[in-house]
Amino acid sequence: MRVETVWLGRGGQGIVTATYIVANASIIDGFHAIANPEFGAERRGAPVKAFLTISKEPIEDQEPVKTPDVVVVFDDKLIDSMRFAIDAVKPGGYVIINTGKSPEEAKKLVGRDDVYLVVLDAIDIARRHVKLDVPNGPLAGAFSKVMGFPTLESIKQAFETQLGKAVEQNFAATKEAYEKAVVIPPARVDASAKPKGIISTTSAFLTGPYEIVGWREVNKAGAVFPGTSLFYTTGGWRIDKPVIDHSKCIMCRKCWLYCPDDAIIEAWREAEGPRGRKFRMKAIDFDYQYCKGCGVCAEVCPTGAIQMVREL
Amino acid sequence: MTAQIVAPKERKVAQKRIALTGNHAVALAVKMARAEVIAAYPITPQTPVVEKLAEYVNNGELDAEFIPVESEHSAMSAVIGASAMGARTFTETSSQGLGHMYENLPIAVGMRLPIVMGMAVRTYSAPINVWGDYSDVMSMRELGWIIYIAQNAQEAFDTVIQAYRVAEDSRVHLPAVVAYDGFWTSHVLQPLDVPEDEEEVMRYAPITRSWVKLDVDNPAQLGAVGTPEWYWEIRWQAVEALRASLKVIQEADEEYGKVFGRSYGLLTPYRLEDAELAIVAYGSIFGLVKKVVDRLRREGVRAGALRLRVIRPWPGDMFKKLLEHVDKVAVIDRAINHGGPLYGPMAVEIAATIQKPVYNVLATIGMRAIDSDMIYDAVVKIHRGLWVPNTPYTVGLRGYE
Repeated sequence: MRVETVWLGRGGQGIVTATYIVANASIIDGFHAIANPEFGAERRGAPVKAFLTISKEPIEDQEPVKTPDVVVVFDDKLIDSMRFAIDAVKPGGYVIINTGKSPEEAKKLVGRDDVYLVVLDAIDIARRHVKLDVPNGPLAGAFSKVMGFPTLESIKQAFETQLGKAVEQNFAATKEAYEKAVVIPPARVDASAKPKGIISTTSAFLTGPYEIVGWREVNKAGAVFPGTSLFYTTGGWRIDKPVIDHSKCIMCRKCWLYCPDDAIIEAWREAEGPRGRKFRMKAIDFDYQYCKGCGVCAEVCPTGAIQMVREL
Repeated sequence: MTAQIVAPKERKVAQKRIALTGNHAVALAVKMARAEVIAAYPITPQTPVVEKLAEYVNNGELDAEFIPVESEHSAMSAVIGASAMGARTFTETSSQGLGHMYENLPIAVGMRLPIVMGMAVRTYSAPINVWGDYSDVMSMRELGWIIYIAQNAQEAFDTVIQAYRVAEDSRVHLPAVVAYDGFWTSHVLQPLDVPEDEEEVMRYAPITRSWVKLDVDNPAQLGAVGTPEWYWEIRWQAVEALRASLKVIQEADEEYGKVFGRSYGLLTPYRLEDAELAIVAYGSIFGLVKKVVDRLRREGVRAGALRLRVIRPWPGDMFKKLLEHVDKVAVIDRAINHGGPLYGPMAVEIAATIQKPVYNVLATIGMRAIDSDMIYDAVVKIHRGLWVPNTPYTVGLRGYE
């Protein structure tokens, strides 16, 4: 038996820790496991992928996983940008996904009917138990449920060695996820079919839309010339998005002052006066392409006009 | 030296003969090459270079920024920064100073900065030994620097000037180090010829400023992160540049010969044409080696000698050509390759290049005195077959046969 898995998420969501915990728990259960994370810029919010292989036999081939049996997605907004990983799952494999959406919607989003789909609102569980947006504990629980290993007891032990703190809270989240995860079996499984693609061994996709060129064309001395961060849209990093109630907004622009990402914008808005007269007025709006959902604007708003609404 | 100097009447550039120690010759070369930023920390046996350059700057003879740094780590950092701004830079070091600087040495290569560094070689501690052997310069062979080893004060002077021209050539853009014997060259007073008109040096090696540098009108970031997708390619450019610099070094040397009347080549052969036994050496002891060759020739042994002048890039093809017909190659190494396949670093590289066994002789470690008789005795043993190849032998070590 050999199970190859890929874990996709964003920096800060505990992807690497999740693979360490599941590997650790599997080793406690008597398996051989190897968790080999792939480190990029280690920037909060940036896409991260980690590999985890579990086997009954000792593992010496520390290869990146190209066609996984299981892919675990920590953020449903990564499905489109990391579709190659979903496509690479072997027919009959598993896609475990953290989303606040309904299982039907999630199924549409994943768009494959020859794999098991496991849907879980891990953020909600993590927020209630751990008071943090780290869905790794619950996703480990979902993994345990569908794969049948590692056992919950081993996961608890792994929490103790890997985290060393908040073990009870994390384990409660894992246990709840184990019970709550929804498993949708595939409509058809063609065991002889091959995956649609493979996960490339280069991690270049993590660093932006560069043209990968040979050594003759690379900038001499590795000089980096001025560019733009316009295409690094960081809006996908959000879990919550700010929403404004214009009737409460007094246009004090405190949110604009405090926004770390210049994501507060002023826009014209159609409004209606008390006697039905229509006019245009300035109003606060958000640039959702770059808003990371940090919630500072909602925190500083003196009238409570800005509310953070769950998006993931 | 004598064999390499063209008769005065053929010189294009008027020169005067003066007497200087190796260190002061290097300082004078730096002054004539109009270095713009000098950052160095004094360490024996290199100290007089730094003192002399400070004096030049203080007297107004050299219009340069002199940065009296608190350590070699800062010295290299300062010249990297200055070179990245487009300045012609110089620093000098020895031994532990190089060790302290080591962290920054590969940075100069990766950023492709044409820094020129002098090195009055000295062995590594412990025990503390301020005297000369080649342990220090041999420890930077893998980093991508161009490495010259000069034989005497004249050559150290000439090579510093050549190094500026090579390093700043747009086909190269790599840092270069000019090493010469600690004390045996650095503190030995010798005659040398220097151009009367210092502008001749600048005409030979003008500051190109063609390297990648910081410029407010064309902003760039240097030395930024190179992720696994990019690092190898960027580094490979430096690998290829070092390989290509072989030609540039040769060109610069030939051109120097035309202008100033002295050229040395990448390797300096001596009576090697019909030799059956060759002695390979580097640094100041080549003079002794030549004396030994002459003595052996008088005794009917077809001996020859070869001096390593440029060890990075490695002139492998030239080696093969020069040593092709030689039966026995003895390499006198002046640094220990601890626990290596052979105990001398150059013996390893020469054995790999000519693909023949070499006779590995260690000498002058920690500046243990050596004379031509000791070299003669060793070579005679090799000639008579008393010593076997691929085994380390020593000259001057007590209690080791």
